[in-house]
Amino acid sequence: MSPSSTPTTEAPGVAPGGSIRVRIRRFDPSVDAAPRFESYEVPRTRLMRVLDVLDHVHEALGVDLGYRWLCTSKKCGTCAVNVNGSPVLACWEEAQDGMTIEPIGNMPVVRDLVTSRDGYEATLAAVAPQLQRREEYPGFPEPLAADDFAPSVHLRDCIQCLACQSVCPVIAQKDAGFAGPAVLVALAELALDPRDGAARGATAGSVAKVFSCVSCYECERVCPAEIPIVSEAIEPLKRLATAQGHVAGARRAAAFLAVVKERGFADGARVAFQLNGLTLRALRLGLRLFRRGKADILGAWRARRAPGADSVRRTYEHGEGSP
Amino acid sequence: MTLRYAYFPGCSAKGTCRELDVSTAAVARRFGLTLTPLENPGCTGAREFRAISEELHLTANGRILALAEEMGRDLVAVCDTCLLNLVEANARLKRDAAARAMVNRALAPDGLAFRGSVAVKHFLWVLTDDLGGEGLRAKVTRPLAGLRVAPFYGCHIQRPPSVQAGVLGRGADTRPALDRLIEIVGATAVPYAGASKCCGFHVVSTEEKIALTMSGSHLANAADSGAQCVVTPCPLCHTVFDAYQPDIERNRGRSLGLPILHVSQLVGLAIGLAPEELALDRHVVDCAPLRRHMAGAAAG
Ligand code: SF4
Ligand code: SF4
Ligand code: FES
Repeated sequence: MSPSSTPTTEAPGVAPGGSIRVRIRRFDPSVDAAPRFESYEVPRTRLMRVLDVLDHVHEALGVDLGYRWLCTSKKCGTCAVNVNGSPVLACWEEAQDGMTIEPIGNMPVVRDLVTSRDGYEATLAAVAPQLQRREEYPGFPEPLAADDFAPSVHLRDCIQCLACQSVCPVIAQKDAGFAGPAVLVALAELALDPRDGAARGATAGSVAKVFSCVSCYECERVCPAEIPIVSEAIEPLKRLATAQGHVAGARRAAAFLAVVKERGFADGARVAFQLNGLTLRALRLGLRLFRRGKADILGAWRARRAPGADSVRRTYEHGEGSP
Repeated sequence: MTLRYAYFPGCSAKGTCRELDVSTAAVARRFGLTLTPLENPGCTGAREFRAISEELHLTANGRILALAEEMGRDLVAVCDTCLLNLVEANARLKRDAAARAMVNRALAPDGLAFRGSVAVKHFLWVLTDDLGGEGLRAKVTRPLAGLRVAPFYGCHIQRPPSVQAGVLGRGADTRPALDRLIEIVGATAVPYAGASKCCGFHVVSTEEKIALTMSGSHLANAADSGAQCVVTPCPLCHTVFDAYQPDIERNRGRSLGLPILHVSQLVGLAIGLAPEELALDRHVVDCAPLRRHMAGAAAG
């Protein structure tokens, strides 16, 4: 510990004085056969950030390290790296002794800590991320009310750092064709914009595949802008897509609600039947469950209703806004 | 003092995972906990009501919360997804007067009202926090010595961070709840990549491949790390891991044979309940290897 000039309330993970050791993943796909880790010793400074560590390695130690930054103040979204396995903004996160720094996941490495944004940009372009006005631009100043933008106000904090894309388990499955949380945030921002008139629900359902989201909230866990991605971007888009009803996920939601209203509870076998009909696959799963007493296959057809089903339905119909 | 709760088993524990309901009741009895089921609660909507209308999500969950309020007890769920729906709706209805008024209009014909007077808990937290380490240990008569258990939390008991802080212990012990519980029952928690990841349940009926790729990789990691079984607080995770395990095995071209336990079953075994009382035979993946381990441990 240094003599005491640092107030303990600042509680820096790295107190000034001495040095810290960091491991950095190095990889240049154009020359290296495989990635490697290198360790560096970096002098501690007060309130040291991950970016300060990278700068020191690059400038003072003369390492030709590839890393990216621009604003150094949590605005440009270019500096995300993994620290100990989880994505953070290098310019914002406090440095820790012994940390491992790697490129963020789910996208190709250009060099060292720099990852390619090409895939994201192509997907974003595919959802037409520009305002498509319902009515012609009335000229400046356009009358806009704060209330009209309340549903999308948090989405406007997105700095496109792609931390969310890098942890999404569905993007990790490339053939799933899922656009990913950052693209859905951009799309929702437009969908919730009262000036926009494009069919964003249809795009969300079939181009962005919003119903492929497994609702794991990994994206929200890591978002440095603390955007409620699932509840304020993904679910509003699902609702728009459901209103149009033509993708499988939307039909799943509708079948689920219909069964709960009919029976007073979510009868899984019945939902599956309504959704996919009687398929061989469903029958095989059903039989497997039936053998262990886990499913009442016949119940899917028999009219089984919970005793209070009427009361449940009444509550829901109020909630849905129908009499 | 008896701990009394309003109990919402959810559609899964009343349907595909009836063994969860059975074993929860058996464990509660042994600890002297009173879990009184709500009458005609309906459903929290899984992820589906939220994809249809926010009002529907709030009224459906408001109904369940109001029923617990009528009983005057905190509400216990045994499903991660039910838990998150209820916790979120409870917080929203407490702070948003317009939403509360909307829900109360829907509930009025049934003589119900949301007032915001109860808390929502997972049964796991009832065990780890309300009974606590001491309360649990006192009843452990058959420690699961040597059993290597992979904890699997499921998403909705731990995320989003703005809503759920529940898997971390309260008070002095800040280790995640399942790790603590596994230690208390005398077993060993196996570290592996996947404990806090997603099982994929919510797309399994429409995009099976996405879900089974995710869950398959967690199960393979658990098995490779030496786990003899997996324990989860969520019946939806249980369904993907257990009911779909034969498909996962076929997709990955390897046999796993990993029994998947509900939290109540793991605890039940350690407090001396018989496998029948815990409905261990109602799993797709045979729990016999687990029984053999326990018999071996008892003999040796
Ligand atoms: S939503 Fe959050 S994590 Fe994702 S790109 Fe925007 S700021 Fe980054
Ligand atoms: S919640 Fe959806 S978008 Fe976010 S990380 Fe999970 S699957 Fe991806
Ligand atoms: S450098 Fe711009 S956000 Fe970090």
